[in-house]
Amino acid sequence: MKRSWYASPYALWMLLFAVVPLLFVCWYAFTTPQGAFTLSNFQEFTKPRYLGVILRSLKHALYCTVLCLILGYPTAYFLAGRGFNHTQSLVVLILLPMWMNLLLRTYAMMSLLDDNGVLNAALQAIGLGKVKVIGTEGAVVMGLVYNYLPFMVLPIYTVLKKMDYSVIEAAEDLGCNPFRVITRVVIPMSLPGIVSGITMVFMPAVTSFAISTLLSNGKIRLAGDLIDYIFNQSSNPTRWNIGSSFSLIMLVLILISIGFLRKVDPDSEGGGMW
Amino acid sequence: MVQDTRLIELKGVCKNFGDTQVLHDVDLYIRKCEFITLLGPSGCGKTTLLRIIGGFEMPSSGEVLFEGKDMTGIPPYKRRINTVFQKYALFNHLNVFDNIAFGLNLKTPEQLGAKSKKEKKEEIARRVNRMLKLVKMEGYEKRSIDALSGGQQQRIAIARALVNEPEVLLLDEPLGALDLKLRKEMQLELKAMQQQLGITFIYVTHDQEEALTMSDTIAVMNGGRIQQIGDPKRIYDEPNNAFVADFIGESNIVDGIMLEDDLVEFCGTEFQCVDEGFDTNEPVDVVIRPEDIMIVGEDVGMLTGTVQSVIFKGVHYEMMIEASDRRWKVHSTTMQPVGTRVGMTIVPYNIHIMRKATTADAAPVQEARKEA
Repeated sequence: MKRSWYASPYALWMLLFAVVPLLFVCWYAFTTPQGAFTLSNFQEFTKPRYLGVILRSLKHALYCTVLCLILGYPTAYFLAGRGFNHTQSLVVLILLPMWMNLLLRTYAMMSLLDDNGVLNAALQAIGLGKVKVIGTEGAVVMGLVYNYLPFMVLPIYTVLKKMDYSVIEAAEDLGCNPFRVITRVVIPMSLPGIVSGITMVFMPAVTSFAISTLLSNGKIRLAGDLIDYIFNQSSNPTRWNIGSSFSLIMLVLILISIGFLRKVDPDSEGGGMW
Repeated sequence: MVQDTRLIELKGVCKNFGDTQVLHDVDLYIRKCEFITLLGPSGCGKTTLLRIIGGFEMPSSGEVLFEGKDMTGIPPYKRRINTVFQKYALFNHLNVFDNIAFGLNLKTPEQLGAKSKKEKKEEIARRVNRMLKLVKMEGYEKRSIDALSGGQQQRIAIARALVNEPEVLLLDEPLGALDLKLRKEMQLELKAMQQQLGITFIYVTHDQEEALTMSDTIAVMNGGRIQQIGDPKRIYDEPNNAFVADFIGESNIVDGIMLEDDLVEFCGTEFQCVDEGFDTNEPVDVVIRPEDIMIVGEDVGMLTGTVQSVIFKGVHYEMMIEASDRRWKVHSTTMQPVGTRVGMTIVPYNIHIMRKATTADAAPVQEARKEA
């Protein structure tokens, strides 16, 4: 038996539940409910209310990615440093949320940020009064960061941990002060980690679903929520066709982003496609 | 040429890691343009001593002087010292050219004698190319580090350090990862570079042959102490104690009794020697190099024994000869078959007498050096 046969159960699974559905999506995206070829499904998204959702999704994902990088990089740098004895337990603490269901985490976030939630109770207790968080864009970005931060920390931590400490000493030796050690050696050498961190945060954040609806009381809708909404619009006869074309647009956007990241670091995840 | 000025001076340097003391009260000076090797077995403190000179470790006590000025607390990036690291520590996000140019890029145009950024760039290119030529790596500018062999990476690491024109170059077992032939070539090349550039080299190795080949001065270390300092010939011919004798070259070390000046007894026989100043009947270590034992007829030897084994070593045969209840290692160009009864003689000046080592026996090291 050829070695490739061992993967056949997986191949069958993928064929049934990923490849075939994807072909369906393509079919629906380019046809009318009657089955005739059309491009009108795509025209739908030049309408401002749909275009706005795409732009908003990209904007929120960008905020989320930047925040994750700002919060995550120093954390990863600290964790990867030598001379700190409790690294393992801290890494586990940081990764713990990753192993928990996303919806569960978002519901937890809701009860923290709610008008009558933990945050406001605490603020009131120290006499600062309530703040309105749930329902704002800030809440959505916070929810995204909360969910995706570990995916930024982990790849950067892994790369930094593997880095030979002697290259830092070499940089010092060649005249780098502590700041230049970071900018000239540590950051450039951890670029592969940064790129895969960005990939692992930005991609799912663009298409994230449920987080925004839950944390904005349904006021802010991102791309993932929009697709969900379109497919469930029972009164619209073209809902499957428009929903499919929107899904394809998101897929292409993601492929383009991977292409960009691939330019920055040719060895990153998913790079082989381009 | 080695000059008399003391460039670096260590005074009473001690270093503790937790409860273990790795350096005990080390005193050492290094002269301008000297090629000095810190030689010793692993764990003897030689790398720690090098790292203290480089500024990567702080001494627990004692001080490090550079041209007479204390530099104990100065960080590495402010020292006029560069290092070739054990595993090269090259920057694999940069190509060969940018690796070598790394230190120069950090300098201002004025520091490189340039008036503008453009002139700085040209000056850097000039200096990098000169270094590539020196380490025989011309044409490799654009290569990535991962595409180089161990020997090539090693050359780039040397170029990256030397291009900054340091006062002192520290080398931490830089040839350890190379194969024997390449290592021998690089030894000679390094020595030639050092003489050509007139830079002080401080070299760390556990390979005694490497140390003998390259150094102006060798400091033999053991247990965090310097056991002996001197030029290679002196260290080889007149080891201070049994440790140095055993570590540098091969030797037979025997317990002996110093009967009077120039007369020692070991293996139940009295031998003429050329050492004086010991107490009467003082127990001593007697060191005899394998190549200094001459094989003669059984009836004329000072000691007689039986050949136990013979190994062909290329230039000579190495024989183990059992005599007086111990085995002697003997190097000879003529072979004696196993089982032969032979006699052995040793001329007086090849018998080296050493005081028995006491725990902190390292006192007379600097004196020996002044005479040399």
